[in-house]
Amino acid sequence: MKVITFVLSLVVSFNAFANDTNPAKDLLLKMANAVHTRNFDASFVVVKGKTMEPYRWVHALQGDTELEHLSLLNGAGLEMVRIDNQVTYFEPQSEPYSLKTDSIAGPIPEVLFKDIDRLSAHYDFVLGGKGRIAGRAAQLVRIESKDEYKYNYWIWLDMESSLLLKAAYVNHEGEALEQLQLTHISVTEQPAGMLLEVLNRNFPTPLPNDALVNEDSTATNWQISWLPDGFELLKSDRHKLDLNNELTDYYLFSDGFVEISVFIQRPLPGKRLSGALTSGATTVYVHNGGNFDVSVVGNVPSMTAKAIAESVTRAL
Amino acid sequence: MTKAHLNKLDNEALSALLDGEQHLTDAKIAEQDVTTFGRYALIGDAMRAQKNNNDIHIDISDRVALALESEPVYTDFSQSKTQPQAITETVQDNKVVAFNWRKPVAQLAIAASVAMFAIVGVNTLPQSNNEQQSEIPLLQTTPLTGMASPVSYSSEPALENAEQGLRELQQQRIGALVLEHQRQARVANSLETAQTNTKASEEKN
Repeated sequence: MKVITFVLSLVVSFNAFANDTNPAKDLLLKMANAVHTRNFDASFVVVKGKTMEPYRWVHALQGDTELEHLSLLNGAGLEMVRIDNQVTYFEPQSEPYSLKTDSIAGPIPEVLFKDIDRLSAHYDFVLGGKGRIAGRAAQLVRIESKDEYKYNYWIWLDMESSLLLKAAYVNHEGEALEQLQLTHISVTEQPAGMLLEVLNRNFPTPLPNDALVNEDSTATNWQISWLPDGFELLKSDRHKLDLNNELTDYYLFSDGFVEISVFIQRPLPGKRLSGALTSGATTVYVHNGGNFDVSVVGNVPSMTAKAIAESVTRAL
Repeated sequence: MTKAHLNKLDNEALSALLDGEQHLTDAKIAEQDVTTFGRYALIGDAMRAQKNNNDIHIDISDRVALALESEPVYTDFSQSKTQPQAITETVQDNKVVAFNWRKPVAQLAIAASVAMFAIVGVNTLPQSNNEQQSEIPLLQTTPLTGMASPVSYSSEPALENAEQGLRELQQQRIGALVLEHQRQARVANSLETAQTNTKASEEKN
């Protein structure tokens, strides 16, 4: 009898192990696949507090070539075009430039279009309820941070096409801070002609990847002693900011899901106050470090940004 | 009066003549050199005009017309009706820019995608004391997109001028930081893949 129980428990546990293929994760992988293989034309808005940004998002698969176009429709605009592994950014007031990367860095976290498995160490994937979004049956999948230093991200997926219908950065009180909502989507058999046009255009040649990391200019004179688990340094250098020509020591961190920038600059004159600014999920924390100013920017809670900023000291 | 100042020069007689102080005779005029005559006439005109607040009429249209005629022709406008369009079309075809990308509005310094953080009022906050600070001081903000009108400082009349300059500086910096973060985040992905690739290859070796 004991043996039978043991065998039974073994079978059960084995089954449980086999079932480890998390349905939430599966859905996300399905979405990543759908986003890369479907021909669709979608419109969505990003709502950050009182502001709203409308986008149009068109994707096509022509033969083996992927074409994608994301454009911001308000204001001076912003256009992003992807042809396979090359993304070109058109911004107002600066020359267009290309990068060798396989996803557009828009309002949707890039990792969602890839293998989200790498997030498993620091995020949980949880299946949520069903609902109706943009006129379609939707399934909620929650990406939950394992600690309180990062936001959670909720995604509603089309149950039919697995495409993304809605997404939101949610804080640990369950409040949506920044929402992305599709207002319309049409999935077609044939790729949109407008997008095929792109193939006839010339785009700037992307910079080689090693040009992005300049070893010589690595900033080493600061010590950032605290970061949430999972964040790794991607680059550090000293450069001038585009808008105000200010010199800054710069550090870029990422945990695979969100990026955090740390800027260390000469102090501004006058009485400087430390404090946080937020817009949607984006936090800017400005810290008065005495002889220097530290600013932390990223889609993280202000407590996290504050802790990072205050951990910066001059390296000895 | 004219006499007093000018006649000392070279031609007292002519001056007097033009001022109507001497009788006009053919002989007298014939004596005069034509250019000098014209110049003196102009001086007289100018002085009288000053007195009466009138304009001086200097007719240079002839000379302008003459000069124009001898000017080389750079563009022929008479044929331009059809040709330039063809030219611009070909230019557009060669353009790198795709879609309906239009020239950005010049006044907008920043892409609308960068929600500008405008500091409306700064809450005075206790600088770090020994107490546990669970609350993070929030600088009050109004996110400002490219469409919005200039920053409104209207909420607090107490915070004015002196602080305003500083705030603008800080605001400028914050705007620059947000834009920079957005740009750097774009390369994050390729950097990350590069890093994981090198790590993977290191592990293999």
